[in-house]
Amino acid sequence: MRLLSKVTVGLFTAALLFVGCGNDAKPTAQESVKPTISEESLGLRKTDIYVETDETIGHQANYSTAVAGSGNTIKRAFQDAPPMVPHDTEGMLPITISDNQCTTCHMPEVAESMGATPVPSSHFTDFRPVTSVNAEGRLTKNGKAIVNTTNVNMDDISIKSTGDQLAGSRFNCTLCHAPQSGDDIAVKNTFEPDFTNKDGASASSWNGTKLMEGLDTVNGI
Amino acid sequence: MSLSRREFLKSSAAASAAAAIGMSVPAELQAAANQAEGDWRWDKAACRFCGTGCGIMMATKGGKIVAVKGDPAAPVNRGLNCIKGYFNAKIMYGADRLTQPLLRVDENGKFKKDGKFAPVSWERAFDEMEFHIKKALKASGPEGVGVFASGQYTVMEGYAAQKMMKAGFRSNAIDPNARHCMASAVVGFYQTFGIDEPSGCYDDIELTDTIVSWGSNMAEMHPILWSRVTDRKLSDPERVKIINMSTYKHRTSDLADEEIIFTPNTDLALWNYIAREIVYNKPEAIDWDFVQKHIVFCASPVNMGYGMRKAGEKSIKEGKYTALEMQTIDKEMKKVVSATEAPALKPYGYKEGDVMVNENAGLKHWHISFEEYKKFLDPYTLDYVAKISKGNPDEDINEFKRKLQLLADLYIEKDRKVVSFWTMGMNQHTRGTWVNTLAYNVHFLLNKQAKPGSGAFSLTGQPSACGTAREVGTFCHRLPADMMVANPKHREITENRWKIPNGTLNHIGNQDIMRIHRDIEDGYVKFAWVNVCNPYQDTASASHWIKAAREMDNFIVTSDGYPGISAKVSDLILPSAMIYEKWGAYGNAERRTQHWRQQVLPVGDAMSDTWQWVELSKRFTVGDVWGAQPLRGDNSLPDVRQAAYAMGYTDNTTMYEILFANKEAQSYKIDLKSFPQAGYDNTECNGDSRNVVGSDGKVFKGYGFMIHEYLFEEYASFGRGHAHDLADFTTYHKVRGLKWPVVDGKETQWRFNTQYDPYAAKANKEAGTTNSHAFYGTLAKSLAQGNLLGITDTTQLPLANKAKIFARPYMDPPETPDKEYDTWLCTGRVLEHWHTGTMTMRVPELYRAVPEALCYMHPQDAKEKGLKQGGLAWVESRRGKIKARVETRGRNRPSRGLVFVPFFDEKVFINKVCADYTCPQSGQTDFKKCAVKIYQA
Repeated sequence: MRLLSKVTVGLFTAALLFVGCGNDAKPTAQESVKPTISEESLGLRKTDIYVETDETIGHQANYSTAVAGSGNTIKRAFQDAPPMVPHDTEGMLPITISDNQCTTCHMPEVAESMGATPVPSSHFTDFRPVTSVNAEGRLTKNGKAIVNTTNVNMDDISIKSTGDQLAGSRFNCTLCHAPQSGDDIAVKNTFEPDFTNKDGASASSWNGTKLMEGLDTVNGI
Repeated sequence: MSLSRREFLKSSAAASAAAAIGMSVPAELQAAANQAEGDWRWDKAACRFCGTGCGIMMATKGGKIVAVKGDPAAPVNRGLNCIKGYFNAKIMYGADRLTQPLLRVDENGKFKKDGKFAPVSWERAFDEMEFHIKKALKASGPEGVGVFASGQYTVMEGYAAQKMMKAGFRSNAIDPNARHCMASAVVGFYQTFGIDEPSGCYDDIELTDTIVSWGSNMAEMHPILWSRVTDRKLSDPERVKIINMSTYKHRTSDLADEEIIFTPNTDLALWNYIAREIVYNKPEAIDWDFVQKHIVFCASPVNMGYGMRKAGEKSIKEGKYTALEMQTIDKEMKKVVSATEAPALKPYGYKEGDVMVNENAGLKHWHISFEEYKKFLDPYTLDYVAKISKGNPDEDINEFKRKLQLLADLYIEKDRKVVSFWTMGMNQHTRGTWVNTLAYNVHFLLNKQAKPGSGAFSLTGQPSACGTAREVGTFCHRLPADMMVANPKHREITENRWKIPNGTLNHIGNQDIMRIHRDIEDGYVKFAWVNVCNPYQDTASASHWIKAAREMDNFIVTSDGYPGISAKVSDLILPSAMIYEKWGAYGNAERRTQHWRQQVLPVGDAMSDTWQWVELSKRFTVGDVWGAQPLRGDNSLPDVRQAAYAMGYTDNTTMYEILFANKEAQSYKIDLKSFPQAGYDNTECNGDSRNVVGSDGKVFKGYGFMIHEYLFEEYASFGRGHAHDLADFTTYHKVRGLKWPVVDGKETQWRFNTQYDPYAAKANKEAGTTNSHAFYGTLAKSLAQGNLLGITDTTQLPLANKAKIFARPYMDPPETPDKEYDTWLCTGRVLEHWHTGTMTMRVPELYRAVPEALCYMHPQDAKEKGLKQGGLAWVESRRGKIKARVETRGRNRPSRGLVFVPFFDEKVFINKVCADYTCPQSGQTDFKKCAVKIYQA
């Protein structure tokens, strides 16, 4: 079922009219066509695009001012989607080689006591095979000379624990996790998640056997 | 059912050893997993966004996408995506998706240029397009029909569009938004290597010791590559060095060992400084054996202008440009040599205060001696370069010099591998082609190019700028596989392959994207179609083009998923199927081609751009388009109908029958029982359960053959055996992409390197040489001889298998801050939004992350201008002004004198402020620098 914004209700009604004409009938287009949709009603900017007046202003951000650890969380958008940041990040960024303040609260060993979402096991996993060039000059992955960096058997998939060390590829937390400005959005989104885990809206389940699930897209699982 | 972290760690050793598909896992866990996601269907796909080309795993249920996860099998991104990558799940579900064609009409339902929009049928939409294309052809000939094409087209869409435009309409006025993004890199490749696309691959990141980012905020714009850089840095923090070269501080600086903040445009001087350090101060670092075997030295004219409109052009004569705008445009004709650039131009005979008269230089260049190159490098001393390039007025000059010296030392250090990455900073540049070639100079001198872990590596901005725009050739001057419309042999090869008469293709390919906009403003292009891009928001000097679209006598069509600015200024809006609603393929920045299947049905009556092109082709016959056609000037295209008759076509044969539903196409069969078609929708081939009423007023039931495979295989046939070899369609559906050339099923890691590239090995064998490399590209491989000032001997000498080092000086950009417009403006993207935001602004998580475009500036500048953090300011140039909120504490932290405003926000329409000057050789706009004033709103 389609969810429709105010803007598209008109379109959808018109679409119904056409379907009503019968699929095989050539629409008598000119008679049924009425100019109903203004240029201004379309898109994200509802003001005149040809002139810049005082009316045209960006949507001011309104990020949370809640301090970290105050217990707020934002529901995950879908199963295993990266969670968004529910707290003020003032003074916590940028992340530098010597200073990643996110980890001070979110590392699994301290997260609970800090009231923070723990970094999940996927972030303590290295999926990239060790890459080098061997004595003969061949490209190797995990020590094995390879022809292609991908193959049908997917026997180059590499899943290794990084122990207690955050995986280097996941060091830049802002790559996936962003603070959110209020609840307002410009346009509704009709995506509907389907959580397979009871706590899917609050916790990651992407670990263990799930890391491999569905990857064989040739033979299916 | 989720394992605890402890349990995971315990089992991880086993998991890594048995990580193949057939691995044995506890039966209970497997069963539980299947139950949980039993009604989900996982399939692989490519990310919709940047040129990195990450793989994603996409789950659908009940005909809807329900989740996206990282793909551990995807070599590019290995189980990780960035925030945009994960939210591919939601990009097609914005509530204002276009579901019906919309046409501007009057009260009687007739087309009216200034009417409001009304929903119309696909049949009516094609009636209008047919009518207006025929009208445009009659008024202006083939050059009057234009297409704004895209680096976000699927390979098949781009190929279909280019075939209908160039073979059908015989118009070369098809040019992609990749022109704004990659054109300077392309001309750099052509001039240096004689063939397009990078020599290296992303494995260089894991293999290198040094990453230098030039004009590229990789941390936000290529986030997954940056995660690989970060991983590499953390793996060996002492050995691995990261240097960020930028005109302002941004997230890429945050992990860098050093950041070098330089004045806009002085990257030209910085590259030449490094080269001078090598040639003058560390000559022993030059690998002469490599250089003598593989390299020639070249020069080209310097007085070539800035790609702006020229005096005498129609819209200039008609007064469409204000006196303020003309202050900048006048420099297209002539300019005064400044004190800043005078030392660099001295070897060319210019001194400060001289008037430089600009002329069209084209792509002309010639051979010079090493001694002449050395003479050219002489001015780039540390003192001169530091003086003109120090970009932070608050930085000590000696500290800046220390960094420049360190930079040169890192490049020069023996046994240190170095990768130079760049993106828009070096491409969006009025000397973009030049600065691209300067990067290779340094790597060539040191023999640090096209080797594992070393090389100058141009990163692409868009997901298929390489795959579709460049390799398919959806540029005005190109044909597939690096062939050119200007080359009669290339036209003939293409005509024969397309089974169209010789003489059909147009030999003049000069309508690049800015030319199409300007031709619309001049009233010459009468019909333009926007495909998979948003040129009315993303082109500089935007006020001119949106006005031209609405006020001139023309018909503008936009196909899109959502109504962006381009849709708003159009006469007809067509609802397009979005990425996972169709079969497709993209090619990324490391030459990796990746395919995906249609995951869900399109919304409403939306149909793919391939379908739209193929349906349009049904409306045009041999009689309509293959008679004699006029071109501008004294040019014309011949009548090829007699030849067409001889090929068995008649006046009534449609372009559909010739170009898309020919015998070869019909041989690609629908096979719903076998991989990869089994179990997947295929709207173009089979129709679908929506029963969309098509272009003839009847329910569209599908073409009845596998058109995606046909278009891909026919395109691929151009490159096979010509150093662009692609694997077959089905193979790509089985693997996570392959890096071309794919020869005997093997991908190529390092091009031009004899050890890795079979074409380099072949070239050496044929030449009877045993060199380490062969730069076998064939473009501009025969040159006259001369010195810095010009050609002295017109004898053409062949340069087979050689690459070029260019003498190209520092020059000022056409606009620099002055008393009135006292601040540099730089534009670009942010991590959370893609280009003009038509998709990402409709994903709640991305919208809320960055709901508006901010004006990032230095706190002291804000204070001096009376502006407050979070307050509104006008940003005004000679071309226009917009309002934006001031941010002095954000992720971008410019020095005094520069502001950064991203371009994703329709309400902060920054391209009205930017200037449409371009690199005159590549036609790529410089969005990275113009002069503005900023004041309280």
